[in-house]
Amino acid sequence: MNGIHDLGGRHGMGPINIEPIEPVFHAEWERRIFGMFILAFAGGHFNIDQFRHGVEQMAPAEYLSSDYYEHWLHALELCCKANGSLTDDEIQSRMKELARGDA
Amino acid sequence: MPAMFPASGVEELVRTGASCRVAVDVNPGFKSGDAVRAVNINPVTHTRLPLYVRGKRGVVVEDRGVFVFPDTNAQLKGEKPQHVYSVMFAAEELWGHGSGRKDKCYLDLWEDYMVPAKE
Repeated sequence: MNGIHDLGGRHGMGPINIEPIEPVFHAEWERRIFGMFILAFAGGHFNIDQFRHGVEQMAPAEYLSSDYYEHWLHALELCCKANGSLTDDEIQSRMKELARGDA
Repeated sequence: MPAMFPASGVEELVRTGASCRVAVDVNPGFKSGDAVRAVNINPVTHTRLPLYVRGKRGVVVEDRGVFVFPDTNAQLKGEKPQHVYSVMFAAEELWGHGSGRKDKCYLDLWEDYMVPAKE
């Protein structure tokens, strides 16, 4: 797919910000997405290439302005919706629960 | 859906990543030193062949072994195991005049991404 992910050779993207001491995760939510990915992958919800294609299908502006693990979350939702194990309604209702403070 | 991953293997999965190397005997179509050309394909499905190398000439420098082919695997159309090669491209071949004359770019390419280069 000739998507926004294929950035090799593009100009004007700015410097690569290499962190001298890079933490494994920058925030707790990143750790959780990594865990969700491992569980869903090990559970057979998708193979690694389906997952990568899921990232590629992000809207270009959203892809460029979001974090690495947000890309993972996008692919995770897309793959699990595609195989019928997750619905948009379930995502929306869980987001409402979290917004109300119900952990 | 793909097969379940055994729970006993999850720790190694986290530690080493999910390698797509497979223990399948496949005859290699290329060898080190072969002149090749990257194919020019533009699938709307998944591929790991970067845009900037399509149609460009390179030289095989190493056979990496046999791996699952991402293009078919992403569509659940089979693993199509095949050799992956390290292929060297001159910077000038990829980026034209004005790029470093001595610079090279090495890409790991699946066999289906290459054809023999005609002179």
